[in-house]
Amino acid sequence: MSGKNYSSTDDEALVKAARKGELAAFEELVFRHRDPIYARAFSMTRNEEDAVDLSQEAWIKGWQRLRQFQGESSFTTWMTRIVINLCLDHLRRQKRHRADSIEAMDDESGGVERQMHVVTVNPTAGLERAELRKKIDDALGQLSAEHRTVLVLHEFEDLEYKEVAKTVGCSIGTVMSRLFYARRKMAALLAEMRKEL
Amino acid sequence: MNLEQQLKLQAFLDGELPEREAREILAWTQRDHEAAALLAELKDTRQAMVKSEPHLSVPESRAFFWSKIEREIQRLEPQTTPAPDVSIFTSLRRFLLPASGVAALVIAGLFAHFNAPKVVVESVADADTSSVETALANSDATTYRDASEGTTLVWFSSAADDSPAQNKSPAAIN
Repeated sequence: MSGKNYSSTDDEALVKAARKGELAAFEELVFRHRDPIYARAFSMTRNEEDAVDLSQEAWIKGWQRLRQFQGESSFTTWMTRIVINLCLDHLRRQKRHRADSIEAMDDESGGVERQMHVVTVNPTAGLERAELRKKIDDALGQLSAEHRTVLVLHEFEDLEYKEVAKTVGCSIGTVMSRLFYARRKMAALLAEMRKEL
Repeated sequence: MNLEQQLKLQAFLDGELPEREAREILAWTQRDHEAAALLAELKDTRQAMVKSEPHLSVPESRAFFWSKIEREIQRLEPQTTPAPDVSIFTSLRRFLLPASGVAALVIAGLFAHFNAPKVVVESVADADTSSVETALANSDATTYRDASEGTTLVWFSSAADDSPAQNKSPAAIN
């Protein structure tokens, strides 16, 4: 390690230096982008400890695969894809150990979303940004991992249906129905929270 | 409204429908209150989500968070250190070294092939006599084999001396 100060170096140059084995340059990249990577891990796992572990694992993988980063997307986007894939693997492993599999829940929920009453008044209208974020976060925590994953990838990562399907490893039809259920459930949860105020 | 219609409504909202279908859905929502209400709910939820991703920070100090990553990288270092950039010349040299070795072997093989003594098999007798005479080109040995007699004769002669038959010294092998 050279001990060089990289605080004013841009990401591209940091990646270049890290590729040459400069650990200090990589540390700077971790420092700059650790929060959004952790946030994505948390939004998918809803567990602080898992999110820290998975985001650290993502950074280690990032270091190992630095040569594969061609700069077609931003460094954060590239790192986010790594952490998303690790989270999906983690959720799959968890699912295998759980009796109440999400696939089973999907089957059970077939049609439930169609029977929900339409929320006619926007439950988030007039809320302060911080309050809205808190409510969204709480509601996300009440969704199943697979519904939440599709919602996060579509709304936060801005992926198209086919990209979500490819990332998650399911059909576009499954993405559409999971997204539909997740949105309707979110609307119902936000409306409920509004009533409780 | 069936599930297919509901999903089309959502695809319309997400801009995932072809233009013609999108126009049809738009017209449908303008005349169907139920469809319009569902579209509004989906739209509100999407808007609330898009602008409200929770901002979270790693619940650990920079040094503590980094220490685990650094430790793991150093543990894996021999396998994982990103390889230094390799020039085209170096890559070419890596290819050329084994290629030149192979080329040398091929040339040596060809040389050996064209300079090796040729075995000329001359069938000097008919099939019914079941005897064969062979001569090794560029060598001074001639072999005669009579299968019916079970005899093999080998003549050795000096290359310089090509005419006198008496110089050949036959040897019989039974």
